[in-house]
Amino acid sequence: MSYFFQLVVSGIVVGSIYALSAIGFVLIYKSSRVLNLAHGQIIATGAFITYSLTVTAHIPIYLSFLMSMIITFFLAMSVEKIFLRRLIGEPIISVIMVTIGLMSIIDGLIYLTPFGSENFSFPPFLPQQPIVYAGISISYTQLVGVIITFILIGLFSWFFKKSTVGISMRAVSDDQLASMSIGVSVPRVFGLAWATAGLSAAAAGSVIGNITGLNFSTLHAFGIIVFPVVILGGLDSLLGAVVAGIIMGLIQQFASGYLDGNFGLYGTAQVLPYILLLVLLLFKPHGLFGTHEIERV
Amino acid sequence: MSVNRWLATGNYFTTYKEEQRIFYTSLDRIFCVFFLTTLFIWPFFMELDSKDMLVIDNILVAVIAILGLNLVTGFAGLISVGHAAFVGVGAYTVACLSRIIGDQHVLITHAWPLMIMFSGFVGAIFGGIVGLPALRLKHLYLVMATLSFQMIFEWTIGFMDFFNQGQTIFVGRVFWFTGQVGRKEHYLFWYYALLVVVVLCGFAVRNLLRTRYGRCLVAVRDNDRAADAMGMHPGFTKVYAFALAGFFAGIAGAMHAYLYRGVGMESFTLHESIQYLAMTIVGGLGSLTGSFFGPAAIKILDLQVENLAEWAVTFLPSGMNLATALRPLSFGLVIVLFLIFEPRGIANWWRILRSYVKLWPFRY
Repeated sequence: MSYFFQLVVSGIVVGSIYALSAIGFVLIYKSSRVLNLAHGQIIATGAFITYSLTVTAHIPIYLSFLMSMIITFFLAMSVEKIFLRRLIGEPIISVIMVTIGLMSIIDGLIYLTPFGSENFSFPPFLPQQPIVYAGISISYTQLVGVIITFILIGLFSWFFKKSTVGISMRAVSDDQLASMSIGVSVPRVFGLAWATAGLSAAAAGSVIGNITGLNFSTLHAFGIIVFPVVILGGLDSLLGAVVAGIIMGLIQQFASGYLDGNFGLYGTAQVLPYILLLVLLLFKPHGLFGTHEIERV
Repeated sequence: MSVNRWLATGNYFTTYKEEQRIFYTSLDRIFCVFFLTTLFIWPFFMELDSKDMLVIDNILVAVIAILGLNLVTGFAGLISVGHAAFVGVGAYTVACLSRIIGDQHVLITHAWPLMIMFSGFVGAIFGGIVGLPALRLKHLYLVMATLSFQMIFEWTIGFMDFFNQGQTIFVGRVFWFTGQVGRKEHYLFWYYALLVVVVLCGFAVRNLLRTRYGRCLVAVRDNDRAADAMGMHPGFTKVYAFALAGFFAGIAGAMHAYLYRGVGMESFTLHESIQYLAMTIVGGLGSLTGSFFGPAAIKILDLQVENLAEWAVTFLPSGMNLATALRPLSFGLVIVLFLIFEPRGIANWWRILRSYVKLWPFRY
């Protein structure tokens, strides 16, 4: 039984990181209806910025965590300004293809640096001894990661519900024309959505980097697993992203805990989310909390 | 009004039948025949070493795959980021059969045209399955479906012992009427085989676009609600577009397997899918000529990037693999720049050039 609870705990740890990664994706989709396929690359960029600030510039890790979030905020904003601002009004399909191009560009830029091919790990700054309670162990890094994740998720929800910028974002996501007519600057909201997504992505990347170590392909995989998570959650729901993130984390942990090694299967955790995604698209395409699109002619 | 079929300077169509002709003017027809003849006879006058021949063969394989991707992305307006996986399905169909029945079995070595067709049908089945969500959903979600198919494919090949865990599976040399195709004439032989298939596929796509099914695709892309009102079924049309894309991809994959005489995982990754997408965008979305320009442009760019990386490595600290960095970088840049500055691709340049030549001493 303690094995089961151990899997639950690590599932929640992984799942909360998925939730944090998915929030950025949902933000962009909600405000501009763009599926950002380069999200994983932004996550990786954030993680690598944190690492370079901590290790190369010797800045304390908490500070560099914040600084990386701010830097990625402006990076994502400028990406939106340089590449996507020009495409407002173009068909959405070409905007999505631009994000595919961006994914490839950022991949190339990361491969130019040592981060592309080598593994790094953050210097330990928390006690190495895991906390053990009733046979279930959780390391301090994981605990702090989960706490940071939930604080950030709370902050984002508050930001969306209460702040002026958040409300204007929701207005734009609801009806662009109507929000323009009451004085919301739609391009500015798009820029801010990308920037906030960059910020949350940097946070997610740094937490992942601390827990699993910095490896580009791992971070990349985190970026792609966001898609099953958001489809399960419903693509335009923040709450859905959080719930679905945790569900996905649990599914993956249970798969690797119970399926791998039996039935001649291994590595199932990597493939189950995508099978689930295909099945979901067939039977419940709007996920758990997504809004059903109603089209009027 | 009688129309000069040789030097038409504009469109004088008075019936739909005229507009649906394959060649609008006799000049077009003569030019096409001349061009095809050149493609078929140049190897008799020019000796290329096998490395260059392989590049040309590679372009032709990509052309077949892009004809399919252009149907689904260009004509039907659905993004597919899993096209390399569909190509992989075709390649692994040949590879798996050669693993089961032995790579020197008569079915692999003698009945290879049959195998290529069969791979096409297997690809079509997979394409149809992945396209099934289109019955209920709009194009955005299909990006997800194709992406997840790409991931499932990579996992299946990478983890299953049956697929040699992504290591190379060998495919035997083929036989022709003159006997076994040897090492020396291998690439030349496949050049001709590929050329025939490309011509067949090109005419198939051109003809498809003249039929009601092809026009359905374009109608659904432009406005699926209007198409629905006109009595088409947008969902089935999309599924069918995916199946067709899978068919072309399957053929391309099988030819790839025979050309390299083996199948390995590294040709069917997500990066390759993005490269296929880059080819489609550079060539021109929704244009048949674009399907030929795109692969040629990207493969040549790829070659130049590799040369550049090899040259630049001499200046740089050792141990750096510049090519792995520069390839995605250049493809990404090409995608983004073309989408922003020339969304209609090289096919548009070709169109402008043609109308310039047609009108030559005069201009607008």
